[in-house]
Amino acid sequence: MSKPFLQIRGIRKEYGPVTAVQDVNLDVAQGEFLTFLGPSGSGKSTTLYILAGFEDPTGGDILLNGESLLSTPSHKRNIGMVFQRYTLFPHLSVGENIAFPLKVRRLPKAEIDAKVRQMLKLVRLEGFEDRKPAQMSGGQQQRVALARALAYDPPVLLMDEPLSALDKKLREEIQHEIRRIHQQTEVTILYVTHDQEEALRLSDRIAVFSKGVIDQIGTGPELYANPATRFVAEFIGDSDFLPCNVVSAGNGRAEIAICETMTVADIPLHGTASSGSKAALMLRPERLLLSKRQSESGLPVTVSDITFLGNNVHVATKTSKGNNLSVRLPFGHEAISGLNRGDAVWLKFDAESAHVFGQ
Amino acid sequence: MVSHTETDSGRAYAPTRVRRLTDFELTLPALVLLVLFFVVPVVILLMRSVTEPVPGLGNYVELLGSSTYLRIFTNTFLVSGLVTVVSLLIGFPVAWALAVMPGRAASIVFAILLLSMWTNLLARTYAWMVLLQRTGVINKVLIGLGLIDKPLPLVNNLTGVTIGMTYIMLPFIILPLYGVIKKIDPAILQAAALCGANRWQSLVRVLLPLAVPGMAAGALMVFVMSLGYFVTPALLGGTANMMLAELIAQFVQSLVNWGMGGAAALVLLVVTLALYAVQLRFFGTDRMGGR
Repeated sequence: MSKPFLQIRGIRKEYGPVTAVQDVNLDVAQGEFLTFLGPSGSGKSTTLYILAGFEDPTGGDILLNGESLLSTPSHKRNIGMVFQRYTLFPHLSVGENIAFPLKVRRLPKAEIDAKVRQMLKLVRLEGFEDRKPAQMSGGQQQRVALARALAYDPPVLLMDEPLSALDKKLREEIQHEIRRIHQQTEVTILYVTHDQEEALRLSDRIAVFSKGVIDQIGTGPELYANPATRFVAEFIGDSDFLPCNVVSAGNGRAEIAICETMTVADIPLHGTASSGSKAALMLRPERLLLSKRQSESGLPVTVSDITFLGNNVHVATKTSKGNNLSVRLPFGHEAISGLNRGDAVWLKFDAESAHVFGQ
Repeated sequence: MVSHTETDSGRAYAPTRVRRLTDFELTLPALVLLVLFFVVPVVILLMRSVTEPVPGLGNYVELLGSSTYLRIFTNTFLVSGLVTVVSLLIGFPVAWALAVMPGRAASIVFAILLLSMWTNLLARTYAWMVLLQRTGVINKVLIGLGLIDKPLPLVNNLTGVTIGMTYIMLPFIILPLYGVIKKIDPAILQAAALCGANRWQSLVRVLLPLAVPGMAAGALMVFVMSLGYFVTPALLGGTANMMLAELIAQFVQSLVNWGMGGAAALVLLVVTLALYAVQLRFFGTDRMGGR
């Protein structure tokens, strides 16, 4: 990131005693697709609304190309936005909706017509310009909303959970459309969602929001392989947590003891931990190895359930302490054949694939 | 009832003594009441317009042919139109404010609106007489402020009728407009703002078009109600600008001319029904949702 395009500097937002956004800092590169991922109430939508100018931050600044945006009212920010709800103007046709931002900018008619045609082509809705929004499906309406938001070539496009009202299949279809449109237009996109799969599928980078702050920013693989906090580990990918005792810690690594029978050294450590303190060990279901043969280095568990999930088989197990651990194995894996509920098995994992979260 | 027999298919349908009443049967008592006490008297009145004093259309020829009566018709439409326009101009901002106001403030404004509707019509009209007369509060304040030298003629003329009737009609325009504006998703206006529309453009290009059904419903209701209004024009208006309802009252009460009274009433009824038909045609019940 040579030259920061959009900078969010220490943005705070308080509603009376409630703090919605605590201290958000973020640099966005031009043409980047960045997703705000987090549960509802984590401050991701509030941050987006501050960018749109619908909310004034309590503190902090937003710079676009080095200039503060905050004193500019919404209608002069030249930012595009697609909303969660359908916000097409119901009294205008599809073509008139896309032309709306161009008409309020008083562009010449020929230019408007050309741009509307270009936008309809971009979202693959040629021939629909005379339809009213009410005559279109939810997915089509959001595509028109996207065309309307891009018609005036905004430097930044905001998207606030635009697909949350659509069913899964349609959602995936439009996710592909959004990716294609992003590649085609090279517009900078800030996208808000609570759906990790959607975030992973679309984004260059993901900012994980939790309780009004960004816990971690990184690419999907970075967040998955190296979660900075327990929250990120829980939010990106599937994970199980085992209580453990720290034997020794240092240099971002820890040696831990689980279930008093097994010790593992050299596990990446996040947060603070010292010898003798309690911590949580994170394990990913797809990174665990299951063996029916007893082994000294394996963690003894009992199979509590086996579920067939198409290309995967999900094995639920319980440790001697009663903690649940899931294992995901490809269908037809030799470890599963003849496996039954109640069987004793042994789990192994690579120290690099696990993480310890201290206090 | 056919559908009931069909849903019972497979079993023999045995008629029972207890039978569900159809919708029509349920509305019968109300229908009978309406026919007896509304339709029949109206029909009798209208019949008298073509039978008294002699059978024929003489009453209508006189009513529609004379310039005196024509002036009353013109005045009736003028007053109703003025009241409708002024009510819309005042009512739209109020309805808009109500829709965006926090709940508690809105309920106070609603209380004021309803309270004024529940207050006796005569009391309200006399109150305006007190306020608007030559020595009334409004003239005294204006003179006191040095804005005018002599009292403005605010009552017993068109101004008085328009002020008094607008006040009475306002709730009928504010309430339907409020309903329509409240249904407009605020996100649509946010989208308009991000599209680059300033407040004025958002109002003219988005909010007003979306509020048209509510405005039309309210305006038509006010216009039709104004056409047949009696008390306020009678008290606040002058003899120079008599309205149709006053004319009907005069025919029936002072002149005991039931024929002419019936004819005038029919003209009023036809105009009202025609306007109602216009409303149904352009803003039928299925188009009232702001779509």
